[in-house]
This record gives sequence, C-alpha cells and structure tokens, in this order.
Amino acid sequence: MRALVVDDSRAMRKIIGGALRKLGYETVEAADGAEALEVLKSGPLPDLATIDWNMPVMDGLTLVTQIRANRAYRTMTMMMVTTEAEHGQIVRALAAGAHEYLIKPFTPDALEEKLALLGLLPEVAGA
Amino acid sequence: MTAGFELEELGHYVEDEALLQIVMQMWDSFFSTVEPPYPAFEPIGAEGPVLCASVSISGARPGLVTVTVPQATASALAAVMLQEEALPEDEVHDALGEVANIVAGNVKALVPDAGSLGLPVLSTATPRLGNGAAEVGRMDAVWRDGWLSVIVWLS
Repeated sequence: MRALVVDDSRAMRKIIGGALRKLGYETVEAADGAEALEVLKSGPLPDLATIDWNMPVMDGLTLVTQIRANRAYRTMTMMMVTTEAEHGQIVRALAAGAHEYLIKPFTPDALEEKLALLGLLPEVAGA
Repeated sequence: MTAGFELEELGHYVEDEALLQIVMQMWDSFFSTVEPPYPAFEPIGAEGPVLCASVSISGARPGLVTVTVPQATASALAAVMLQEEALPEDEVHDALGEVANIVAGNVKALVPDAGSLGLPVLSTATPRLGNGAAEVGRMDAVWRDGWLSVIVWLS
C-alpha cells in the first residue's frame, strides 16, 4: 500500500512516514497542499493521505476540499493529522471530506488503530 | 469587569497543570525512549544561547505560545524526536517548531473563541506579546543538563 504524507514539518514527515513504513506502507511526501496536488497528478494514486492542517501555500482543509472535488481521487482515504484539537475543527474537516482525524501528539499505536478502523493496515487489507 | 480579571479568567483555561499535561503527552508520543523532564519549582532564567519557537493564536483573545530551550537542549531533543544524531541546524529548528506547534494547538483548544494557529517562528530569544498581553500559563522543567520553558501569553 502507498501513502502520501503531507506536512510542512520535515520532522513530522519523518515521524509519520517512519511509522507508516513500519506498518508496511510505501510513502511519498509533500510539504504543503499545493505540492501534494502535484504529487497526486504525477504519480500513482496513494491508498492513504495523511494531511496536516496548518501549512504554508495551501492548508490542509483546502487540500481535502480540492481532493474531494476531484472524482479521480475518490478511492483515496484522507486522514487529517493535526494539532487542531477543537471539536468544531474536527467537524469541519470531516464535513470537507476527511475520513478520519488524528490529533497530534499521537503514538504509533494510535495511528495504527485509526488505520485498522479504516481497514487500511496492509496485513488487514491483504487478509 | 477589569481587563486584569478577564486575564485571570483566561488563566483558568490554561492552567499550569494543563500545560504540564500537554507537554507530558507530547513526551510520551515523541520522546518516550528517554527520561522525561521534571517540573522546576521556580521559573528558569535563561543563561547562554537559547532557541525559542513561537506560534501565534488568533481569535477573540490573540495570543502566543513559546517554547524556549538552550540551543544544546534543542539539538538533543531533535535527535531524540527524529532518532538521528548530529542533525543540521534547520532540522533542529524544524523539530522545535513542531514541538511549539503541537503545544500551541492543544492550548488553543482550551481558549474560548480561539481562531487559527500561525506557523512556527524561530528566534534566539523568547519574544513577548505586547498590547496588554499577559502571561497566563507557564511550565518550566529540567531535562538532562538543560531545561525547557513553555509560556502562554494571551491578550
């Protein structure tokens, strides 16, 4: 399985990407929403995108909205991974089209649990 | 109601205990392979070169969250967070910026009518928020040979 990790922090891209690779994912990265759209245009469609909220150039909520508006990306699951912890923000993200929401800080176990709920653990998907 | 009383009320939303809880939760997530910091009983005065990451909070009561550490502590924290030694300066700055971002995001959830978070800004001194802002929450802690100081300002 393939995941796109979108976060303006290189540290977070390493942490999230590392956790996903341990679970069996191949990962690609983007530092903001606009770069993420370029990655989606140029490569095979990932199964999963983890998307930060606050980023320069294009924020995560705008990215989720743009991805959801494009039928070609319908099969990709989007999970917001962000410090935005208010209930209202979670509702906004899910209403825009995000499938799941993970608040930073998180543990690798929490990430794995969310992926299991989505049926996106590589071993689960292959079972 | 005086402005001072209002700020005191905001202090109840961002209690020092809540700040400590946020920091320890982050520690459990990203620094669990090393010993945790322990709270200092008094505010720590900065001696020597420091690095500060700050993130602004917009909204009805604009504010700022700062995370200040000695530069050597910043490098050590980044090495633990990314599990890589001898990281270049920009990666150390990026890691500390993300620490401040995570603390600020969780602080914002405690502040009524908060707006959005700014992007992390790095500096070599702890900035102060002007225009009637006050310190409403603070957590100082000791870690290894260094320390970290987290301050929440709201106006």
